[in-house]
Amino acid sequence: MVEIVDLTKQFGDVTAVDHLNLKIPRGELFTILGPNAAGKTTTIKVLTGLIKATSGLAFLAGYDVQRAPMEARKRLAYVPDYPFLYDKLTPAEFLRFIGELFRLRVDQVNAQGRDLIERFQLGPYLHQPIEGLSHGTRQRVAIVSALLHDPEVFVIDEPMVGLDPHHGRVVKDILQERSREGMTVFLSTHQLNVAEEVADRIGIMHQGRLAALGTPMELRRHSGSDGPLEQAFLALTEDESMPQGDGLLGK
Amino acid sequence: MSQCHKETDCWGSNRVGKVPIGRLNRMAKRGVDNSSLEQPILVPETESGAQARLLGGSRGRSPLRLLLWAHLRQSWRRLRSLTEQSPLLIGLIALFVGGYFWIAFWLFYHAFGFLSSFPGLGPLLSERLLFILFAFLFVLLLFSNLIISYTNLFRNRETTFLLSLPVPAETIVSWKFLESILLASWAFLFLISPFLVAYGLVQSVPWHFYPMTLLFLGMFIVLPGVVGTWLAILVARYMDRRSFQIAALTFGAIILGGFAWWLRAEAGAGDDQETRVLVILDRLLAKTAFAQFPWLPSYWLASGVLFWSEGAIRTALFFSSVLLSYALLFGWVVSTQMGTWFYSAISEVHSRGHVLGRWQWFHNRQKARSSASDQVTGPVERIIGWIPKLGRDVRALVVKDIRLFWRDTSQWGQSLVLFGLLGVYIINLRQFSQQLTQPFWVHLVAYLNLAACSLNLATLTTRFVYPQFSLEGKRLWIVGLAPLGLERVVRAKFWLALIASLLITLSLVTLSCVMLKMPFARVLYFAGAVTVMCFTLTGMAVGLGVLYPNFKEDNPSKIVSGFGGTFCLVLSFVYILSSVVLLAMGSPWETGGSAAGLVAASWGIFVTISLAFGWVPLAIGLRRVRSIEMEG
Repeated sequence: MVEIVDLTKQFGDVTAVDHLNLKIPRGELFTILGPNAAGKTTTIKVLTGLIKATSGLAFLAGYDVQRAPMEARKRLAYVPDYPFLYDKLTPAEFLRFIGELFRLRVDQVNAQGRDLIERFQLGPYLHQPIEGLSHGTRQRVAIVSALLHDPEVFVIDEPMVGLDPHHGRVVKDILQERSREGMTVFLSTHQLNVAEEVADRIGIMHQGRLAALGTPMELRRHSGSDGPLEQAFLALTEDESMPQGDGLLGK
Repeated sequence: MSQCHKETDCWGSNRVGKVPIGRLNRMAKRGVDNSSLEQPILVPETESGAQARLLGGSRGRSPLRLLLWAHLRQSWRRLRSLTEQSPLLIGLIALFVGGYFWIAFWLFYHAFGFLSSFPGLGPLLSERLLFILFAFLFVLLLFSNLIISYTNLFRNRETTFLLSLPVPAETIVSWKFLESILLASWAFLFLISPFLVAYGLVQSVPWHFYPMTLLFLGMFIVLPGVVGTWLAILVARYMDRRSFQIAALTFGAIILGGFAWWLRAEAGAGDDQETRVLVILDRLLAKTAFAQFPWLPSYWLASGVLFWSEGAIRTALFFSSVLLSYALLFGWVVSTQMGTWFYSAISEVHSRGHVLGRWQWFHNRQKARSSASDQVTGPVERIIGWIPKLGRDVRALVVKDIRLFWRDTSQWGQSLVLFGLLGVYIINLRQFSQQLTQPFWVHLVAYLNLAACSLNLATLTTRFVYPQFSLEGKRLWIVGLAPLGLERVVRAKFWLALIASLLITLSLVTLSCVMLKMPFARVLYFAGAVTVMCFTLTGMAVGLGVLYPNFKEDNPSKIVSGFGGTFCLVLSFVYILSSVVLLAMGSPWETGGSAAGLVAASWGIFVTISLAFGWVPLAIGLRRVRSIEMEG
């Protein structure tokens, strides 16, 4: 359902993603972890078609995101860490807008949205301008709008940002439910406990490469640690070649 | 979920009107009654009928129409909130618009009347004026469209958002093209409308001249929009910030140099008044003949308008057909053929390393810089470091503000257009100094020059100084919580803006006065007046910027176009108008000479209103900032 083949992305002479290969089957909840500047966001940007790969291929639901971008996007939902919403529209209007972009009929938007709106407790905010909503509520609106068209692949970056524990739970439940029903989830997060709790498989990226791949249990075993995932993560991403900070900021 | 395979499109005919199986399964698991699906939750019960009809009617809207709908709705809400926010401001804006229109119309009407009083020459001069106006309009619109299209296409969160949705790249380009044309053109159309109305009334044109001119203009603005969008995509594809800055500076210098050479002063034509007028007119017509180059779209527009005003409808229709065919052809090219270019360009913008990265010497230089101990001390920091008694914290803030401005291409580009226009203006002044001999005209031009310089200052302060506080945006806490304190932040912004404004405006006034060959005493007088105006306009912009902040918006143009920005602009213009009139009334060089008492009184009132317009908003702003600190 998501396939990345020998993907490389360079920014000038900096290689952000280095010959990455990854295959995520349909219905899997895959979580990508990694330290800052590991190449996670770049991978997501290539996967969602926001930027072109320097070399290699990326497929969503069987479609090459570069050669058949429209077909891929029709099957994709993407929620970045700071999602864009039209501030002067209400959530109801925004959802209708997204629904129509995906060619859903009004009754389909209503039918699809009802369950999600109830679960995310968005009812009281539906007809208020988005600009007045809290960060968490905006995040909930973005997630609902992304799921409205029943995507085959859901790419989500830091989904828990701004969410309270209750709605964080709802997001985790929905991701797990949907993945059981066949939606492929590609989740990027720094919250190791979230990854450990929901992921079927975890990939750890480091310096543009996939440093480790497996179930949470396999990763722990691989790093020789029986403790929480944090220990495995730190062991796998430890890097002695990183430059030291001394002198970087001048006198 | 399983229904949505690539063989059966997610919204293909097999699924229209059906609830996806995945969703039904989920609802069954959660014990939700399926019958509730019939009740629309996104449509309020009270207005469900009307809403359903509205939505039903809009079924199958294209992405472009959907975007238009979303933005129209947003604009309507903005307008409504503005009217609810301050009816006083709306009244003030209406007064300003009406006042501008009336004054501009009055000036143009009398100017056209004056021109038509010359038998034979009048119509020729009026005609040439129209050609020149539209040629300049074309160039200005081109630059304006380039800058706005670049920002809209490549520095806009909506564009990135749309790229992840099933919206074709061609549609994104089309939408941003339309948006840029509207944003770039409305002000120009507003500014030239009194000119065209005055022309029409002097020429006694039939009523249909006005709607036809509007139609001509509607077709015309598409063409600079097309070129601007195309150039924006090319710039984004092949240039990074630094190479664009170098190219823009070089291009600006070439254009200014070209103008300086083209408009160079030439030797007089003898003392005989009649011979002199004829020679000057001959030169004027020769120097402005470029505006009648038949391949310029402005030529088609001006010809169409002129022929229509003269009743030569068939010829006018020919020119309108030329405009229409080019507008349609290039409009079609932009909306259907530039998607792939745009996608490559935006990918390049987000993937770009340094433009010099392909050369080894650049890497060596970077390595040398990174190994040096003072690597983050750039030229700006070194220059600011020369200012004595400047605290390290204030220095850091000033350096940050200068760097952010310098690195924002759109800000930079707009300043360049503004300074380019000023350059052309100053170069033109040389012509005046040679032709003005009567004291009345010298006097009038001197005060008009003061008005021009201060209006330029008002544009600078409103466009670049007013949004400075808002631009701290979500990062306000960084400077707000630092030991520096928000009040000192605002004070530092005021002084930085004031020094920059003074440097620019004093140079401008001095240069323009020298070009007009004014005596030293007059240069000092106008420099003094403009210094007071600098304090006032900067104080007003900083103060109102604090009083009406917009921390949600990153785009300074949009911050300026809000409530506070408009208020600042209107207030600045009112202040300039009243100040210049006041100073002119109490001018020490007025024919016959004003009494010393009158000069002193006019300066006294001028300083008083300057304090009221500048110091008061700044003081209130600083007080507000102190309360923001306490709330924080």
